[in-house]
Amino acid sequence: MYSSKESLNNDYPKFAVVGHPNKGKSSIVSSLALDDSVQIGDTPGTTQVKRGFPLKVDGKIIYELFDTPGFQRARRVLSWLNDQEPVSADKKGDVVRAFIAAHRDDERFIDEIELLEPIMNGAGIIYVVDASKPYGSEYETEMEILRWCGQPSMAILNLIGEENYTEQWKSALGHYFRMVRTFNPIKATFREHIELLDSMSQLKEEWTKPIKVAIKVLEDLQQQKIEQTVDSIVSNMVKTLSYIHRQKIVGESATTDEEEKLKHSYREKIIKFEKEQEQNIESIWNHRSIEKVENMLVLDNVGLFSKESASIFGLSQQQLIITGASAGAMGGLGIDLLLGGGSLFLGSIIGGAVGGVGAMMGFDNLYEVKVLGQSIGKRELTVGPMQNLNFPYILLGRSLYHSSVIAKRSHAMRDNIDLEQEEFLTEQIIDSDMRKTLEKVHVSLRKGDEPKEEDLKAYKKVLKESFLGLL
Amino acid sequence: MQIKNSKISIKSYLNLLELLNEYRGTHEENRLFALKHEALLQNPKKMLLAWMQKNEFRKTQTLESLSILQKLSILGNFIGLFSLIFGFIAGFGLLSYSGHAPVNVIYYLLFAMFIPLLSMLVSMVSLLSSGTVFNALSLFFPLHWIETVLNFFSFRDKVDVVNTLFSDELKKWMFMSRLQLFSLLFSVGLLFALLVIVISKDIAFSWSTTLNVSNMGFFKLLACIGFPWGHTLPSAIPSVELIEMSHYYRLGENLNTQMIQNADKLGAWWKYLAMVTLFYAIFLRFLLWLATRYGYQEQLEKDFLELDGVQKLLREFNTPFVSTESPKEEKHLEIVKESDEQVSHAVAKVYETIIGWNFSNDEILLVNDAKGISSSNISTVGGNNSFAEDQKVAKEARAEVILYVKSWEPPTMDFIDFLEELLANDNVEEIQVYPLGTVGRNYESDEREVAIWKRKIQGLKSKKVWVIDV
Repeated sequence: MYSSKESLNNDYPKFAVVGHPNKGKSSIVSSLALDDSVQIGDTPGTTQVKRGFPLKVDGKIIYELFDTPGFQRARRVLSWLNDQEPVSADKKGDVVRAFIAAHRDDERFIDEIELLEPIMNGAGIIYVVDASKPYGSEYETEMEILRWCGQPSMAILNLIGEENYTEQWKSALGHYFRMVRTFNPIKATFREHIELLDSMSQLKEEWTKPIKVAIKVLEDLQQQKIEQTVDSIVSNMVKTLSYIHRQKIVGESATTDEEEKLKHSYREKIIKFEKEQEQNIESIWNHRSIEKVENMLVLDNVGLFSKESASIFGLSQQQLIITGASAGAMGGLGIDLLLGGGSLFLGSIIGGAVGGVGAMMGFDNLYEVKVLGQSIGKRELTVGPMQNLNFPYILLGRSLYHSSVIAKRSHAMRDNIDLEQEEFLTEQIIDSDMRKTLEKVHVSLRKGDEPKEEDLKAYKKVLKESFLGLL
Repeated sequence: MQIKNSKISIKSYLNLLELLNEYRGTHEENRLFALKHEALLQNPKKMLLAWMQKNEFRKTQTLESLSILQKLSILGNFIGLFSLIFGFIAGFGLLSYSGHAPVNVIYYLLFAMFIPLLSMLVSMVSLLSSGTVFNALSLFFPLHWIETVLNFFSFRDKVDVVNTLFSDELKKWMFMSRLQLFSLLFSVGLLFALLVIVISKDIAFSWSTTLNVSNMGFFKLLACIGFPWGHTLPSAIPSVELIEMSHYYRLGENLNTQMIQNADKLGAWWKYLAMVTLFYAIFLRFLLWLATRYGYQEQLEKDFLELDGVQKLLREFNTPFVSTESPKEEKHLEIVKESDEQVSHAVAKVYETIIGWNFSNDEILLVNDAKGISSSNISTVGGNNSFAEDQKVAKEARAEVILYVKSWEPPTMDFIDFLEELLANDNVEEIQVYPLGTVGRNYESDEREVAIWKRKIQGLKSKKVWVIDV
């Protein structure tokens, strides 16, 4: 899409991720490439051909990772290499090249050629082993072949299972590799990802600069993703909480059927908004293959305001009353300001008390259905903006939770997300001071007003803080 | 692509809105576009207009909103013309002089100054308010009622469609801007009527009020009103003498003799009234109209940048496109169905031959001890063994063979090569591949790991080789 210059400039660091079959090579590539399209399977030979994953910035390749098939006939390869005329260390690479040339059409060595080719084209070696399984001398054959290649190399200990043979592996790998690092692609945090890249940059002097550039790019990208996530959550909050659903009615007043239909459409619309937002978050974080086992956001008294839903994502009754009181006080404060404080701030106190009681009373009242219209005009039934005090916190809690799970999720992970198994309390991540800032915007939206720019800014700041706390 | 003017019009606003509904481009495409138009990166509006121009062909739907807007604009022109005519007629009505009762300048001042000033004040308060307050204040404007009545015509639904496309704030500025323009046209009509009547009729002005206002007091008030032009155009300020002359009492004669004698002087009021209209009803209204036009344009540009999808576009223009995807599609493996074919659920206690793949001799003895399996012929293969050593073991194997493998190490082609050599040995009657777990797990293997071994062995389609799954 950009220019063909990239193919001319081949002078960027390349890394071939190699190893025994089924040791998590593809998982590591998927995690480092931030791409969940890599096929990861427990069947050996899932990766049949090498696949390059270039990190491109505006079309320019900064570095490239190669996912390769595992060694299949390592002993035969080493045997062939050993059978050649003895050469000095600097010529061993040529012998490997000769092996590739001699066996290019030999079906028996398809996998070995696929994995050796990028190495002989200048890629650094990242040898992956599963440190949750014991070391075996059979690995020495593979490591010996890699030594023949003469390229900068490092080993990664990937702990796939529950047992831990790290020390055993370290003492063996130390004989073959200058650098041995532990990296679990499933659990790795962004920081660990960057640390691994930093280690890779040390493999060759010329690679340090481009990899540092890549690290900076990825750090900036991470920041942008965080900003985009917060923006997406805020825009969905504003859209959902201010949403007014309208429906024309025929008669003087709405029938029960018309009212129910309206409530149903309103619920559907809000569910749709939430789904769209979730998809947006998943696309921001480059997770396109996620299937979730998650209950639908059911906006009725049983679902959304069930004890479970409210206790996980919403505020407790006590917090709700305090929040309601502060929201009411905000209204009361308006009266005080109008009277220049002459009311001795009684407005705030009364407003707070009314708001608090309202919060308790309003716990079960999600809808406020209104009939609008004039005698000569058509009549309209409307529902919204959302009046329930707890709903914003439930929606916000869900959004923050979902986004944090997605943001932390490794691209190597292929299991479904089971949101029901997670523990999450909105109250723990949004304290009372934060709630005051949030409530300013919620109050405006409830009234059908556009929130002030500075309030929205403060809202975003609070959400960003909470989101970062979850990462 | 040249974008000379970055001023956003309602047309460009609607065009972008409709384009964004159909097409938003990918980050890669948008960043590439921005890199090709690097000079515009500092001017997001120009960049957006250029992007819109480039992608306009992608729109498949006709711009219904634009045609509705055009019709509304024609309607607006009609209301404007109506305002002008209405102002002219109102002026005629105010200045109608039958030759008996003179025209009371206070009536005229009410229409040419007090009402416009009040209306401008309400307009300004409305501009500073929003939501319910604005809605309540707009009830004071005749335009609100004209538009409300018009809404009941057949095109109401279409107007509704257009209304949903704009923010409340923008609609407010649109309304206020229209209001100022129509009021301005009304005042122009009023001034025009004054001038026409002054030219075509001999009109006598007077002033009359129930309130106890002295001539001097009235003079001061008028001088104060005429302050803006008093220095440059003193003749357009009525003198105390004129005010005295034109003081008119309802209870007296229609016109007293003094007034009749000074009839030519009474007409001098017109200059003052014209200036009042020009300054208060036209000039100030014009300024307010300019201010609302400016506010409208600012709001339009703000809304333009806040259109759904615009922030994403701008971010994509300014953010380097980072990709890590492989250009090569991956061939997905076919999933082989699990079956029990060639799977044995029992282990014998004695085997003719025991072979350990990648096991040392000691490790085999430990397994034998743990599993209670014995044999007189134990060999190791794979690992650091040479091919010749492996071939020798394959040839010497007899009868029932148990082949220990590490369950966690999936079968490689190296293993398959050895297994095929073993299968080629006619003295071997049966081979049982036994995937064993780690010592730490007492050789218990993982179900998933054994499944891998099963699939591989089943793939060989040999009836001589089995996988032990116990």
